[in-house]
Amino acid sequence: MSKTKVKAKWYLGALAILLISSMTLSVWAASPIKIGLVTPLTGPVSTYGISVRDAVVMGVEEINARGGINGRPLELLIYDDKGDATEAANITRRLIDRDQVALIIGPVITPCVLAAAPIAQEARMPLITPTGTGDTITAIGDMIFRAAYKDSFQGETMAIFARENLKLEEVSILYDVANDYSTGLMNSFRRKFQDLGGKITSVESYATNDNDFSAQLTSILMRNPEALFLPDYYSAVGPIMMQSRQLGLEVPLLGVDGWDSAELADLAGGYEEGGYFVNHYSTDDQTASTQAFISNFEALYGTKPDALGALGYDAILIAEAALKAADSTDPEAIKDALGTAANIAAATGTINMDPEGTPVKSVVILQIQEGKHVLVDKVDP
Amino acid sequence: MEWYALLIQQVINGLALGSVYSLIALGYTMVYGIIKLINFAHGEIYMLGAYFGFYAITVWKLHLAPALIISMALASLLGIVLERIAYKPLRNAPRIAALITAIGASLFLQSAAQFTFGANFKPFPQVIPFKRIALGPAYITNRQLIMFGVALILMVVLHIIVQYTRVGRAMRAVSLDKEAAMLMGINVDRIISFTFALGSSLAAAGGILVGMYYNRIDPYMGMMPGLKGFTAAVLGGIGVIPGAVIGGLIMGTAENLVVAFGSSTFRDAVAFAILILVLLLKPGGLLGKSENEKV
Repeated sequence: MSKTKVKAKWYLGALAILLISSMTLSVWAASPIKIGLVTPLTGPVSTYGISVRDAVVMGVEEINARGGINGRPLELLIYDDKGDATEAANITRRLIDRDQVALIIGPVITPCVLAAAPIAQEARMPLITPTGTGDTITAIGDMIFRAAYKDSFQGETMAIFARENLKLEEVSILYDVANDYSTGLMNSFRRKFQDLGGKITSVESYATNDNDFSAQLTSILMRNPEALFLPDYYSAVGPIMMQSRQLGLEVPLLGVDGWDSAELADLAGGYEEGGYFVNHYSTDDQTASTQAFISNFEALYGTKPDALGALGYDAILIAEAALKAADSTDPEAIKDALGTAANIAAATGTINMDPEGTPVKSVVILQIQEGKHVLVDKVDP
Repeated sequence: MEWYALLIQQVINGLALGSVYSLIALGYTMVYGIIKLINFAHGEIYMLGAYFGFYAITVWKLHLAPALIISMALASLLGIVLERIAYKPLRNAPRIAALITAIGASLFLQSAAQFTFGANFKPFPQVIPFKRIALGPAYITNRQLIMFGVALILMVVLHIIVQYTRVGRAMRAVSLDKEAAMLMGINVDRIISFTFALGSSLAAAGGILVGMYYNRIDPYMGMMPGLKGFTAAVLGGIGVIPGAVIGGLIMGTAENLVVAFGSSTFRDAVAFAILILVLLLKPGGLLGKSENEKV
């Protein structure tokens, strides 16, 4: 972790030197294009933010190495929102008013995006969230885009998988009532699972930052479900997994992209084993652009990238394509170019933007087997 | 599982959580009993206790019991230092000044912990292999048993110290009348330090037990339990030691039952609702003596 931090710092230092030298020595023919990155580097969802940051930094390096945007280099400004919606909103304002960036990448988690996006929309600032999956995000306005799929698609995919592949009849849900991401997923999963003839035996909830789930899990246990759906971030899901097994709930666990973190195993204490979750990509996927991203990331940082990293990389590639097509920093031109971005060979597959600003691409279902995320199913939209 | 089994199970879970609230409440109540100060930094001592335990286990490779003792010792030291630096200079200042200082100390310790340990959630090392024991129609885990056991032992030790030792007698004397105690030759400063040390070590024990139970610690973990511990102390009658124990157990159980049979959104509200109810009916708290303000 510290190695990547040092690398990022080194990179920022190098960027600063580059900037200074560009003024005096004219390394670049033209002035840089500023891009803001809002991402949680500390706090309860920090592994997401660090993955995104590392991948975006790598993407910017690669773009600048191949000549930048029509001859202009990219300059990346990175801010830590701590996974806090208020911080994310403040940073967005700062990027617009003080830093005057051409485009914002981020924030990472849905509650932060929902706080930041209306500000960007009102200021006519193009914003791409790499990973925000909440359904309502792109409905905020025409300036808001994302590199991830929507939660309704994700929740429905898991419901179909649970009903048709796992042949489950009765499932319980435990979700965070104070988080839009978790609530949205609960709704879409429940609706689809019931439409397919399944039964939701009980829906229990908790609030963000609770750490005692024994009361809810005991109630769930009493209903004897065949599986438990846990739509939340790893920092909550980990302890839930451990407490559920300790209370004697030995059923398969079903989840979502929030599970994708190296820290899940530590927090769950090994009880995550066997769980299924929906994700944006699999490292087993043999698509050329996916494998190229994985090997470059591994060469630079020494670890395999998770889906958050892949989406961060996708976001910067979408930004590159749009900035090139717009060939200016005029926000309206960038917005139009983002809305029509197509055929981008990215880390999670080929990206084509739909009219709402969400890419159309396939999702995968992974199973945790001996600590590894094994590809079980790939679903096309 | 039948409904009565569910009820028993929820009460067991609630009592496990409540025993930790009791440990925290004891620190609040003792400090209040001696110097009439609500030490709002107490929740942060609990959090730091969990971190001391975390490092004792991961870095020094200790088992739970020695880690618990080391963490309690470090937390007592911290409690003494905190009192010396933050509260002692204000002992004769208006009570509101000391109260605000306590809130400041709480925020300082929180930020310092975030700076030192990082803001990320840390998984607590699993030193105790997990077991489930059938108890009639319900189950109790060996970790819950450890929580009950450690909390009970510490409370008995505390009772013995306060009731049957010289220093305990001195504590009671200071809490009764500080000036008179001083005239009788009691070193009041030392007794206050001792009280802080005792309260802090109990909070640290609570922090480790919770870390072990929930498998997750972070720099903000002290905030809510700190408030709940304070509420438990007031509920039982602030300044009264058995009151803190009873208050903590009531709060833990009420919380679990409301989540199980009501809604999880009321989890934190129920604690404060109970507090308001008790204070309306019995302003001194359950075991508190409602006495008139001394002139």
